[in-house]
Amino acid sequence: MPELMARMAEIAVSRHEADVLVALGLGSCIGLALLDRGSPVAGLAHVVLPESREGTSVPGKFADTAVPELLRQMVALGATKSRLQAVLVGGAQMFATGASGSLDIGRRNEQAVRTALSVAGIAITVAVTGGSSGRTMRVHLATGLITCKAAGSVEEPIASRSPMKLKVAA
Amino acid sequence: MELTDMQLDGLREISNIGSGTAATALSSMLGRTVDLKVPRALALDLADAVEAVGSPEDPVTAVVLGVFGDLEATVVLLFDPASAATVCTLLGVDPEDSEMALSALGEVGNILGSSYVGAMGQMAGLDLEPQPPVALADMLGAIVASALASTAMDTDLALLLDSEMLVEGAECSFGVLFVPTADGVGRLLTGLGLGEAA
Repeated sequence: MPELMARMAEIAVSRHEADVLVALGLGSCIGLALLDRGSPVAGLAHVVLPESREGTSVPGKFADTAVPELLRQMVALGATKSRLQAVLVGGAQMFATGASGSLDIGRRNEQAVRTALSVAGIAITVAVTGGSSGRTMRVHLATGLITCKAAGSVEEPIASRSPMKLKVAA
Repeated sequence: MELTDMQLDGLREISNIGSGTAATALSSMLGRTVDLKVPRALALDLADAVEAVGSPEDPVTAVVLGVFGDLEATVVLLFDPASAATVCTLLGVDPEDSEMALSALGEVGNILGSSYVGAMGQMAGLDLEPQPPVALADMLGAIVASALASTAMDTDLALLLDSEMLVEGAECSFGVLFVPTADGVGRLLTGLGLGEAA
């Protein structure tokens, strides 16, 4: 199982069933996974901050630029936007100190990702967010299973790809 | 933000002085010699910055201090579990008592952080005020990334001043990170007479 890392501010996408997308050690960052109900295509963005200032060269870093970029890359691999479902992990408050920009950054990240998803018309099926622990998330393309492991805890399944609702002709 | 080799050298030097002062303070606290490795001044993108510090899922105990005043920064001390236990034992605290252990390490962070930041401020002619420390045990990546996030708004390049200290005669080493905001890097350079970040 090749593991494709979405490191800080990075986006990983794949359509190969053998692949696993991974975001290690999410703190105040958000791991945003998108699954396609009709294909193995999946994507994972490791979002660092809520809002971009103009002209960022790293779209994966900000919620408002990461969501459209993740969508673009997944559609390019054959995903269909109307079939996408989102899973959020992270957004913790690790410590209430540090430079002033860190104040409540986890919660603000989650809000910004939720807003960007709502603008894109993508529903969130599961969110394992908040609190004060770091988390690792994995997206298994073969099964559509998403797992989360909190610091000092075991890896647990939190979501799976929902089966596509078939339209039955009347 | 781009930094020249000369600027990085200057930042490494100020980090050397800061961590040297901090090592002396810790040494008198522990009653042991504390050695210092040559610090690193790293200017990296965010993803590489986390990995330069360590493996993101490694369990660590961290002490985090905000720095305010003439510039904003975050100081992070990182202990692997064995080193955290050793420091506690040297201070006469039971490492198994996690609340007491975090409190003892927080005090170490307080002394180290304030002497580090004080020496640095003096060198650069800046008034730097360390905030009370917060100690926590968690994944290295979650802690370092969260510290970097707070300084990453205006720059895609993270500056890390990374020192490693070793307590002599004990299996104990730990890292001290100084992470300024982009604006803070500029103020440090100006204070040191090294120009501005391009």
